[in-house]
This record gives sequence, C-alpha cells and structure tokens, in this order.
Amino acid sequence: EVKEEGKEAMQQWEDDWDDDDVNDDFSLQLRKELENNTQKN
Amino acid sequence: IETARIFDFEEFPKRDKVTYMYYTGRLEVFNENFPAADHKLSYALMHCNPRNEANIRMILKYLIPVKLSIGILPNDQLLEKYGLVEYSNVVQALKRGISGYFGRLSRSMKIGVFLVLEKLELQVYQRLLKKIYIIQKQRDPNKAHQMKLEVIVKALKWLEIDMDLDEVECIVAILIYKNLVKGYFAHKSKVVVLSKQDPFPKLNAKP
Repeated sequence: EVKEEGKEAMQQWEDDWDDDDVNDDFSLQLRKELENNTQKN
Repeated sequence: IETARIFDFEEFPKRDKVTYMYYTGRLEVFNENFPAADHKLSYALMHCNPRNEANIRMILKYLIPVKLSIGILPNDQLLEKYGLVEYSNVVQALKRGISGYFGRLSRSMKIGVFLVLEKLELQVYQRLLKKIYIIQKQRDPNKAHQMKLEVIVKALKWLEIDMDLDEVECIVAILIYKNLVKGYFAHKSKVVVLSKQDPFPKLNAKP
C-alpha cells in the first residue's frame, strides 16, 4: 500500500533494545581483553 | 517563523503543514531540542505525500539521529529502503559501545546532523562503560562499581582508539556532567566510582 508509506516508516523502530546483553561477540572479546589485562597487572 | 502561531495551524493546507513541521523540526535539531524535533519531524513523516520517497528520505535523515539520541533505533529495512544504510554503522556503534564510527559518515550525511551525532558519540562511550561495568560485575559483584580509568583506556586501545588517562577522565567527566553516567571520581587513585543505583540512566528517561 503506497498510501501508508510514511506511517509504515513510523513503525519500523525498536525502543527497548537490550543493552545489557554481554554475550555477543563484541562483549565476549572485550571481556577476554580486559581479563588479559588483569593478569598482567 | 514562530509568528505563524497567531494563525490556526490546522487551517493550513496539509502540504504546507508538513513543510512547516519539516523545517521547524530541523531548526529544533539545530537548537538541540530533540524531543521537539522528534515531534515535528514525526508529524512531517506521518503526513507527507507517501509517494514521494525523496521527501521521506529527507525527513528520515534528520529524524533517525534524533530518535537515536532518545534511545530509539530504526530497523535495517527502514535504512535500506530509503538509502540510509550509512546510519547502520552508527546504530551498531551505539548498541555495542564501539566508538570511532562517526568519522566514517560521508560529508553530505553529516551536514545538518553533526550536533546530534556529536551527542550520540557520548552515548557510545556510555554503552562501552556499561559493558565494562556488566563484565566486571559478573566477575566480582562487590568491586564492579569501581572502574579504573586504566581499564577504559585498555578497552579503547583494543578498539584502536588511542587515548591517555587524562583524555578518558575528561570524557567520563562529560558523561557524568551530562547525566549519562552517575558517579564521581576518586582522582588520586584514577578510579570512577559508579553509583550503586542505576549508574547508567536510560536515554529516553531524560528530557
């Protein structure tokens, strides 16, 4: 439906994304990195 | 522009209302009134000619960073459909806490939204600190609220961002000042002591 484009665009958002998740690749690597550092200290 | 207030807004033709909301919305972006910008640009988006994709894209170009700044993320389809995939790096950076992505936006993209992007960059640092905090908490819940500046420096180095202790201290100070982080410095020991209660306030909770 062409008519609803603008309204449709209004619906394609997420507002309660989970930023506490530390199990993604990025966080796992960050954890590794930080743990390496503690051993050195 | 504001003299238009003496007229009844609703009396104007729809296309003029959309145009008015689009430009005043952009003005609000420039003045860093992001909730007002959100309201006006959303209005423009809802009521604009649905066949005019170029217009929708123009509105979204400003609306997306505004929404991001209040913690609302666009999904990938939206970015793809309107040729705004450049923003997906910003979204990812914001989600994960990876800094250094904003510099890669093209110039044409930065024009007009630079101030919001600058604000967003601070939020990226907030994410990163939050990640570090959660990781620390899992390892040792009792000490998690004490974050060594050195740890932040190392995390940034891992992200290929070279900053020394003073620079990191400065950024954390701004984060605290902007209420993105609750806590205080133990300057001597180079540690940020985070509030035990809600140290990273939600983005959309703020005005």
